[in-house]
Amino acid sequence: MNLRLISGLFLLAFASSGSPAQAENRIDFARDIRPVLNAKCTGCHGGVKQAGGVSFVYENQVVNFEGETGNPVVVPGDVDASELFFRITLPADDVDRMPPAEEHPKGLNENEIALFRQWIEEGADWAGHWSFESPTAPEIPALAEDQTANSEIDHFIFSRLEKEGLKPSPPAEAARLLRRLSLDLNGLPPTPEELDVFLADHARDPEGAIIAAVEERLARPAFGEKWASMWLDLVRYADSRGLGQDGKRNIWPYRDWVVNAFNDDMPFDQFTIRQLAGDLLPEPTIDDLIATAAHRNTQTNNEGGTDDEEFRTEAVIDRVNTTWQTWGSITFGCVQCHDHPYEAFHHDDYYEFMAFFNNTADSDLGNDEPLLQVPTDPAMRGKAGQLDRDIRDLQTRLWESGQEAVASVSWSPLALERVSTSNNTVLETGAVGGQHHFFTKGTVQRGPVYSLYPTLPGSGEPITGFKLTVLPTDAEKALKDSEWGFEVSELDVELLDANDEATKVEFAASVADIPYLPHKPDTVIGNSGNGFQAWTRLHHARELTIIPKAPITPGEKTLRIRITNKGFLLGAFPLVIKRGYFEVSSDPSLIAFAQSEAQRGMKKQLASLQAERKKIPSTTLPVMAERHSSIARPTHVFARGNFLEKDKPVSAGLPDSLPPLPESKNPSRLDMAKWWVSGEHPMTSRVLVNRIWEQLFGTGIVATLEDFGSSGEKPSHPELLDFLALRFQNEHAWSMKAVVRDIVLSSTYQQSAKASPALVERDPSNRLLARGPRSRLSAEVLRDQALAIGGLLTEKVGGPPVHPPIPEGVWKPFQGGDKWETPKPGEADRYRRALYTYTKRSIPYPAMATFDAPSREFCSPRRLASNTPLQALTMLNDAAFSEAAQGLARRMKYDTEGSVSDKLSAGYRIATARQPSPEKLKELIGLFDKLEVQYASEPELKKGMAGTADGAAYTIVARVILNLDEVLTK
Amino acid sequence: MNPETLLQQLRSQQLEADTRRQFLKTCTTGMGSFFLSHQLAGGAVPTPQHEAGNPLSALQPHFNPKVKRVIYLHMIGAPSQLELFDYKPELEKLDGKPCPQEFLEGKRFAFIQGTPNMMGPQAKFQQHGDSGAWISDRLPHLAKHADDLCFIKTMNTDQFNHGPAQLMVHTGHAQIGYPSAGSWVTWGLGTENSDMPGFMVLLSGGRLPRVGKALWSAGFLPSVYQGVQCRSVGDPVLNVSNPAGTNREIRRTALDALNKLNESTFDEFGDPETLTRIAQYEMAYRMQTAVPEVMSIEEEPAAVHEMYGTEPGKESFANNCLLARRLAERGVRYIQLFDWGWDSHGASKTEALNGGFLDKCQQVDKPISALLTDLKQRGMLEDTLVIWSGEFGRTPMRENRGGQEMALKGRDHNPGAFTLWMAGAGVKAGTTYGETDPIGYDAALNPVRVNDFHATLLHLLGFNHKHLTVPFQGLQQKLTGVNHAEVVKGVLS
Repeated sequence: MNLRLISGLFLLAFASSGSPAQAENRIDFARDIRPVLNAKCTGCHGGVKQAGGVSFVYENQVVNFEGETGNPVVVPGDVDASELFFRITLPADDVDRMPPAEEHPKGLNENEIALFRQWIEEGADWAGHWSFESPTAPEIPALAEDQTANSEIDHFIFSRLEKEGLKPSPPAEAARLLRRLSLDLNGLPPTPEELDVFLADHARDPEGAIIAAVEERLARPAFGEKWASMWLDLVRYADSRGLGQDGKRNIWPYRDWVVNAFNDDMPFDQFTIRQLAGDLLPEPTIDDLIATAAHRNTQTNNEGGTDDEEFRTEAVIDRVNTTWQTWGSITFGCVQCHDHPYEAFHHDDYYEFMAFFNNTADSDLGNDEPLLQVPTDPAMRGKAGQLDRDIRDLQTRLWESGQEAVASVSWSPLALERVSTSNNTVLETGAVGGQHHFFTKGTVQRGPVYSLYPTLPGSGEPITGFKLTVLPTDAEKALKDSEWGFEVSELDVELLDANDEATKVEFAASVADIPYLPHKPDTVIGNSGNGFQAWTRLHHARELTIIPKAPITPGEKTLRIRITNKGFLLGAFPLVIKRGYFEVSSDPSLIAFAQSEAQRGMKKQLASLQAERKKIPSTTLPVMAERHSSIARPTHVFARGNFLEKDKPVSAGLPDSLPPLPESKNPSRLDMAKWWVSGEHPMTSRVLVNRIWEQLFGTGIVATLEDFGSSGEKPSHPELLDFLALRFQNEHAWSMKAVVRDIVLSSTYQQSAKASPALVERDPSNRLLARGPRSRLSAEVLRDQALAIGGLLTEKVGGPPVHPPIPEGVWKPFQGGDKWETPKPGEADRYRRALYTYTKRSIPYPAMATFDAPSREFCSPRRLASNTPLQALTMLNDAAFSEAAQGLARRMKYDTEGSVSDKLSAGYRIATARQPSPEKLKELIGLFDKLEVQYASEPELKKGMAGTADGAAYTIVARVILNLDEVLTK
Repeated sequence: MNPETLLQQLRSQQLEADTRRQFLKTCTTGMGSFFLSHQLAGGAVPTPQHEAGNPLSALQPHFNPKVKRVIYLHMIGAPSQLELFDYKPELEKLDGKPCPQEFLEGKRFAFIQGTPNMMGPQAKFQQHGDSGAWISDRLPHLAKHADDLCFIKTMNTDQFNHGPAQLMVHTGHAQIGYPSAGSWVTWGLGTENSDMPGFMVLLSGGRLPRVGKALWSAGFLPSVYQGVQCRSVGDPVLNVSNPAGTNREIRRTALDALNKLNESTFDEFGDPETLTRIAQYEMAYRMQTAVPEVMSIEEEPAAVHEMYGTEPGKESFANNCLLARRLAERGVRYIQLFDWGWDSHGASKTEALNGGFLDKCQQVDKPISALLTDLKQRGMLEDTLVIWSGEFGRTPMRENRGGQEMALKGRDHNPGAFTLWMAGAGVKAGTTYGETDPIGYDAALNPVRVNDFHATLLHLLGFNHKHLTVPFQGLQQKLTGVNHAEVVKGVLS
């Protein structure tokens, strides 16, 4: 076969190019050349190692590029001038032969060499990897005349089957199809009543009945509850914080936002923009802000003695990786440490992208700040959102007027005569660059109070303002590697008389250098709140001005400034000022400003708005918020990915190998969010339709959901993928429900799942889809289905997480306060859908973990379905499933009329949507009879399970039914 | 139907259902050894190929291993090497003196502030056995085993907080989400006892380690390879007991019916997963007797209880040591014990070197010693590897939390040097590898990074660590991570 192929290629090489008949035989770089390069060349000439300066990842390091040998690696159209071809055709014992004999004893085979020759002769076209090229509208393939199809999807699938010599399977039996649709769209089985209606409709008008059933299920709230799980795996949603303490995190309003977004069919472009940058929208609503919690699902570390900056950085890195994984199915994380080994991404690209995320206010804080107050009553969200925006506008105006007042007066240095502290912290003073600094020396002890004794200006002018500047101990270094911050919990100015009796100066206003932070800077005056802070890290010099009610004229008295530093973090780090200085002003305009009607009016209005907002009952939610530009964190490249080794600074940007941002000078997180869904991005829509496809068929068109790159699998049906992607972003205007609808209405989806041994052998994982999907149900659906079959399910949408029964001894949280309190049998919250079960990362809910649900530390793009004995033990013995079995037993025994046979048939039908075959029914009756006799002869045995022998027998039969392969799979 | 016959029947059906490709692989490498040979795969990385339907089937590793099973004793919280094994007379002389600045530059600490004072060893040391190993008077029983132990004094890590450092020790990564060593090993080797999980975890009670089950997670490997936690409260293994109203006979009756119904589903749909499921339900049934049987330590003779200091029915490290021996006897591949309370900062009585640390030493000394004696008597030390460690070391400086001297004595976290010892198969008994600096602060001679240790552990079990890999997120992931790792030849026998 090889020989024939080679001679064919040989002839081709001499044939005139461009004839349409031969177009199909042209070399396709992605199909023919790149796989060989990746297998045998990029190990040394790739992104990480670039031996001889040659990298087969980048066209410009190959085509017409002179490596260290001085010869061009590849000259299009000229095999003889191409060093590559010369080197791969050298004899095996030649030291210059590529690939080197040591790693690849056999070198390239003749077929591969022929491919390279043809490729160079045809002009060495360098096509990007498929997922980096925009999808193109494919032609809809024609089908054989005898083949019927419901949709374009079928044309792609069936024409391929035809080529493979396979035929599609007949449609699934109506009852089975309804069960498949119900489980896939709603994650719940059809009720017997729904089944009756559907079967009757289907007998009259099959197509109409199916369409109606699909529409009904797309419209139910259960749709969002089912499909949310797919997304929550990606954004690593959990109700705890991870690492360290893994304490509780109140973030469930975000989970509800996702459910609602699916139910409302929020277009995927909006869905994307809100989650990545909802806070940067012009007038963000409460819901836009809730969406940003997507990236607040990152882990935080509140273990004592942990470096907040280290774990803030970890979280930012996770946001970068998760964003690429979720929207691009690209393993961008590789570039964190070095150039990507086989994709066209450079090391710097990683940090340029990281800069989009590096300036958010969250910083691994123990209380998850910044927090949004989410009204518990959704109806109040509009009003609350308006109040929040008004409050912020007013704060900004207040801050701007303050900045203007401070900037418009002159300031002179305040000399310090002496300084002292209240504890072992050593404080010293000295002149630096015209200012009189106070600074600590050596070990800083927690909680010092500084006393500063200024030398008063000789002129005797009254003082109308004090400006405190706090400095990092090493200003240049702090920009790269921030220092621990500080907290001025109290700042007082006192006048001391001859007997050291102190009188506090009263202050009218404070003006901080930034408009809003989680903590309010103006609580510093005369209060002991958490005042002016760099919480918890310090990159830049910080400023705070305080303005007295009246000018201060000390006269004979001395002045004392007291700074209380209460900050102490993680049982380890005192947050104290380590270096700072004061300046003073005598300009009367400061006091006039502080006491002005305008200022008083705005403050009064602010207080009343805040009071009004406080009245709206709310729960807190961690959200994204951008730090003020004046204290923005610079982003640096990390050498070898190590955050302690910062290299050159970078600004926000995107890799060159993808479409650029629309015109934007200083691109923001919002620009980046819009870029993913601009319609120009080659990955976004393909990635999403592939995820939906995988949910419905068990395997994606690209099986490696996590990797669309060149080491991932190629699409099984590339044209279909492009067709679906373009239809999704264009015709369907990013509607996810429309994609789901398209797929489930196809004949492909509706095929029977029965497979002959020959078909199983031919296509074991059903990639060609000559049969319908059949796979084990997900962890969530297994629980929800069991509750539904047992007649126990509570259909309540949303709300705080719940605590269903958990086996004894499992719940031993590291932190004591996190209680697992299970509602009693019969109470609604005991039987909620799995989606609502409290998700603690360090203690996954056993039944979920056993059935392969990820514990959501990181983005989990794909679940692999395992098949283990622990699953059997869970299904057979776990308390929640036992309760479901008892429920189904009751439905058989009490809720069904007729004979034992009728009751058992009904139970089987509730669980499988089908009547049992006569053989199966016989087996069930035989089991029931045997059990009933046994329980009747040993009455003690049924204790704790059932009151009567037949009740016990029904319960065991119900358990068998719940464990049927037919029930565990769709 | 007799379950054994049914099972045999299923096995043969599975083989038939096996794809031709897998069958060919089986033929070229021989039954029982399903690892693709490195040569035959043309330089590709070999992957464990378990029998279809039995992801825990026993496999041969890359080369003949000396170690068949591992018992790992982790002292959560990081015990002080300076009070147990790493004797530093120089440090004694520096006791109470301020720490020189050069020791502090470029270092990151969890709790130490500014300039702390040095602190000499808080225990008396003596040499033991023919090997002359230094062991402190805190561990008198273990000291008798000095000639069985192989110390690595120069373990070091780059993590100085508990959560990430514990993850490093068990998964080779500082973040949650990677497979643990036990999962890698179980994936690679399967288990020799088809009635028991291959990887079991025992906790001395109290709370879970702070990162919880992530320490025995299967990460991105199939969940069947995750550690199965044995519990002393409730079921010994989750859901292993039948619910109320079901006894073993009734379960058998129910399973027979379930199997028949599922077989007819297989006839209808032809899905090989259905057959696998039937086999898994049968294994679960066998586990239901095998697990409680192994967990019932009360059946051990009084002399054994005396030796270990066990009290049946209680949650204790001693009970777990005895259980570890029983699990090892039954062919469990990887047995992981966690003890806790070793974080001797000096911030509270229970966490002080002159407080709780003394009790902790007493609680583990006798049972560990008994485990070594017991394994040796039974000839099991010849193919069992016992490992003892924390997650990092402790500083030669006295902790001064919040910048002030504390009432009790303690040491802060030190990633620069900690002691790990091994005993049993494959390692040089009665030796010490590596040397720390004169104050026990950093690894000076022959440092061993955590990933070097992992490479060594896998080597002892018959694996080239570079070739036990699985593709995930664009990388061929391995226990030893992306950085260079080397087998520590100096500890191999």
